[in-house]
Amino acid sequence: MRYFVKKFFSMAATLILVSFLVFAAFEVIPGDVAVSMLGTNATESSVAALREELGLNRPFLTRFFEWIGSCLSGDFGESYSYHMPVWEMISEKIPITMTMALMSFLITVAVSIPLGVYLAKHAGSKVDKGMYMTNQVVMAVPSFFMGIIFTYFFGLVLRWFVPGGFVSYDKSLTGFLGYLIFPSIAIALPKIAMTVKLLRSSILTESKKDYVRTAYSRGNNTTEVLYRHVLKNAMIPVITFLGMTFTDMVAGSIVVEQVFNIPGLGRILLTSISNRDYPVVEIIILFIALLIMVVNFAVDILYRYLDPRIREQQSGRKESGKEEK
Amino acid sequence: MKRKWNFNFTVGLILTSVILLLALVGIFFTPYDPDAMNASLKNTGASLLHPMGCDNFGRDIFSRVMIGIRNTFLISLATVTIGTVVGVLLGAFTGYFGGIVDEIFMRINDALFAFPSILLALVIIGLLGPKTVNVMLALGIAFIPSFARMVRSEYMKQKNLDYVKSARLMGASHFRIMFVHILPNILPVLLSSVMIGFNNAVLAEAGLSYLGIGIQPPDASLGRMLSESQTYLFSNPGNAVFPGLVIVILVLGFALMAEGLTESDH
Repeated sequence: MRYFVKKFFSMAATLILVSFLVFAAFEVIPGDVAVSMLGTNATESSVAALREELGLNRPFLTRFFEWIGSCLSGDFGESYSYHMPVWEMISEKIPITMTMALMSFLITVAVSIPLGVYLAKHAGSKVDKGMYMTNQVVMAVPSFFMGIIFTYFFGLVLRWFVPGGFVSYDKSLTGFLGYLIFPSIAIALPKIAMTVKLLRSSILTESKKDYVRTAYSRGNNTTEVLYRHVLKNAMIPVITFLGMTFTDMVAGSIVVEQVFNIPGLGRILLTSISNRDYPVVEIIILFIALLIMVVNFAVDILYRYLDPRIREQQSGRKESGKEEK
Repeated sequence: MKRKWNFNFTVGLILTSVILLLALVGIFFTPYDPDAMNASLKNTGASLLHPMGCDNFGRDIFSRVMIGIRNTFLISLATVTIGTVVGVLLGAFTGYFGGIVDEIFMRINDALFAFPSILLALVIIGLLGPKTVNVMLALGIAFIPSFARMVRSEYMKQKNLDYVKSARLMGASHFRIMFVHILPNILPVLLSSVMIGFNNAVLAEAGLSYLGIGIQPPDASLGRMLSESQTYLFSNPGNAVFPGLVIVILVLGFALMAEGLTESDH
């Protein structure tokens, strides 16, 4: 219980730190929002008036705390370029991007874990060797190129879906999910390759340890040892990796959304960045930061479930898994 | 086992060399002017004169791919250089000395590390504006955390080993120990993560220019060629396939070389 309280406060502290960094970052950049909104030939007085209206002429810290305060009370500010509440703009986009990320995550887990276990079980076989090369190639294909290939083959040649024919989830749920299948696979494929590789080598490393020999000597057969003893330990680095993968998928969907013409968070983020529409960018970044924290928290809990040793030594940093990329 | 090592590394080296040769030649010579448009050749497929065909403006794709590889390669190189140099410095100091500074740095580092690098780069470019230098800078900054983290953990392992203690007994300064004694010992690990980092940089750069915030037109870049090709995908798939394939080969080559160097349990 003390652990959760501590975790909660550290999450809150990180979130405040991130929001401060984000807010400060948009403060120090060259270029005046008011000027970019009105165009370069605006009169000085109209620029000043707009700065006044946007509240840009007050001290930085005052604005920061006001911003945080209103965010906490549920008011996320107003977009500079569309003059509508930021929340209204992004709230209907979040489900789209999240559904896509979630779908690709589920595909990744569903495919890579059985495949990784299978390859580890049959290490050195022809299938294993074949998959090794396939894996390397798949890892090298950027997800947006995969998306373009999908669009060509499944969309234009086989006509399994209409490229650009995105259906919103409030119109038809099945059409919405159906359209997201190919983008999700495009995002998932490289991640599947990485996860399979990591899980396979993790299982093989674990299998060489002493406790495995002990388990065998007590009369267990290979399957029992694998599922009851090895897999639990072998999953730990994989879970770290999958946790990071999920946030990567949210980021990946920003790019893939453009390939498949999906009006998700990515589209809004890109247009807001090019329009210098900072209130929107800030909220989207904060949202993603929050998401990362929640995912990390979930990973932490899973750890504690899988590995009682971690419950004992709370402070240990997570093993790095990102290097595997 | 020995043979396998050679296999991965050799194949990777060959793939990388082919691509890099194209880029190198592209600096001095391209078969056509990569920016010259020719309306009569719009969206023509591969032919003897134009081995990869022409794009929607009638520009020779092969020449553009050559320039594109060069741009991608230079940006990735700069990215990895920034990431490695700053990452090694940060990681070495924090890992070697530890203490409160280490704690603070690593907290910030972890927070940044958790952020997907392409998103970080996207925001930094959004702040600085889309220019080639800014792309290098943004990606470089985005890649620092992963290097710093890796180097730091290596330094923490190494600093308690006997050779470090003996060097200190002999009166070597901290600075000398860090960069003359320890650094060579972590080079193998560093090298393979530099290669992996290079790959991630290639993918990130391609992603950014696909989104239109990397290299600005008319300069050719592989990612932008892919995004331009999409409108004419059905009539001219070669325009998408060739730049994409080049990215795949470049990344695959480096990945295989890194694989050969680290030697997995294959």
